[in-house]
Amino acid sequence: MKLKNRLVTGLALVAGLIFLSPVLYSIWMSFETAQSYYTGQYEFTLDNYVRAVAEYNFARYLLNSIIVSGLVTLLGITVATMAAFAFARYQFRGGNLLFGATVATLMIPSHISLIPNYLTLAKAGLLDTYAGLILPAISNGFAAFFLRQYIKGIPKALDEAAYMDGATPLQVLWRVIVPIAKPAIFSMGLYIFITEWNNYIWPLVAVGKEDLYTLQIGLARLYRINPGEGLVDWPLVMAACTLSMLPVLLGFLLVERHLVRGITLGAIK
Amino acid sequence: MLRKLTPYLLVAPLMIFITVFTYIPVITSVNLSFRHWDFLSPTMPFVGLENYRLLLNSRDFWNSLQVTAIFALFSVPIRLALALAVASYLVRETLPSRLLRGALFLPSVTSTVSIAVVFSWVFATDYGMVNAALTSLGLAKVQWLQDPQLALWVLITVNTWKQLGYDIVIYIAGLQAVPQELYDAAAVDGGRRFHVFRRVTVPLVMPTTYFLLVISVIEAFQVFTIVNIMTRGGPAGATDMLVNLLYRVGFTLFDIGRGSALAVLLFIFLIVLALIKSFVIGRRVHYEA
Repeated sequence: MKLKNRLVTGLALVAGLIFLSPVLYSIWMSFETAQSYYTGQYEFTLDNYVRAVAEYNFARYLLNSIIVSGLVTLLGITVATMAAFAFARYQFRGGNLLFGATVATLMIPSHISLIPNYLTLAKAGLLDTYAGLILPAISNGFAAFFLRQYIKGIPKALDEAAYMDGATPLQVLWRVIVPIAKPAIFSMGLYIFITEWNNYIWPLVAVGKEDLYTLQIGLARLYRINPGEGLVDWPLVMAACTLSMLPVLLGFLLVERHLVRGITLGAIK
Repeated sequence: MLRKLTPYLLVAPLMIFITVFTYIPVITSVNLSFRHWDFLSPTMPFVGLENYRLLLNSRDFWNSLQVTAIFALFSVPIRLALALAVASYLVRETLPSRLLRGALFLPSVTSTVSIAVVFSWVFATDYGMVNAALTSLGLAKVQWLQDPQLALWVLITVNTWKQLGYDIVIYIAGLQAVPQELYDAAAVDGGRRFHVFRRVTVPLVMPTTYFLLVISVIEAFQVFTIVNIMTRGGPAGATDMLVNLLYRVGFTLFDIGRGSALAVLLFIFLIVLALIKSFVIGRRVHYEA
């Protein structure tokens, strides 16, 4: 029985490795020289990373991605939690209508906003700024909807006890609700962060200045402008690729469960 | 007074963002779709339904619709069938099953740009992974991304590879909701494995299947990144999916009117699908209650 279990674990590992082989091999490839890639004699080097950072500015893109995804997550989750708290705990005139408008955004495909948002930000002079990258991504109807359901499940007696002690609504939200809803907020935050980190079409449209490229845009450009003549410098491209996947890959290993939870909760409402 | 205002102040930021970046854009798009404009001219004359007429008479539009439909028609059933088969094996809470789930799920959180770049290498004609395997078997190289007959299938493959893990996770959640007694009963009745799968599992995860079906069709109509990186719509329009056409018309040809008309058509189509989705979720809730 034990042997059989080990065998099955082994097979599962092999199957997983085969499935992930394109990504795993591309990471492996990022550590060899272009020369060695084409001749087939593996030769370890860190040169591709050095070049990606020094010649192609990937440190800057990495920083931009962190700033943009970080702020979108922080602001998005704050805005969503506040609204969720109001929707869960207050009966107010127009409340149902506003909640309906929030949920309805889930049906509206983002591509219809592409041209208008471009125009809005152009008019506001915000193209080619961090604000232009961040602002359109902040509202997240799904996060608000999901957190409202979660907060509704928290016993109201807890709020009431706090109000008796003279707490203000914001204090109740911050001291009572947020600590209890932390797992849900964390899962949602993670989900928003990853979505934003991987966002491509909006930065592609909203940013022309190289200083503001996110990793995804930087990688796409590097792949396209490829320096080699005719042949792509795959090891260099894969180093850039690894840089753009790395944070999410590392995060994935640390918090896989939360992620899966966030996504399952996302689907089964 | 302040007490009464509290909920409004709490929802205000969300409402402002939703209004400015979601609701107003819908109206703007509709308005622009009736106008002729190129980003630069000071005027944007009203042209009625002209943009829609041009669009519906253009070969590009119908080609794009066809390409997108083929993409959806093949990628969605393949994904769902594969995902359900794999999920019904991985539903058990054992170590190998958890490892495999992790491996399969990983691509769905990895950036699509990176995946598209990696697969551009996998399917590259020279020095690509697949062709290297083919030549080592003594077979000829294939021009995967340059052949109009093949490029779309490559994209379908890549999309399936990326999304499969997500479908599996959702199916596993669905399968875990199926009461174990039903399987026990089937086992007592001496049901063979495939038989049980077909008669018990498949019908019971039907709500999950509907859900995944609708969201993957919605997704298929919004595929852009892998197209933009791997083929840019080519060769010869073979992979020119709807959002790629929208991007081309709006941001490379600067025909805002026609781009907006296309966005509005896409919007109407996706709204219909989204309504079907919420109808399905409504039914799902009844199933569980």
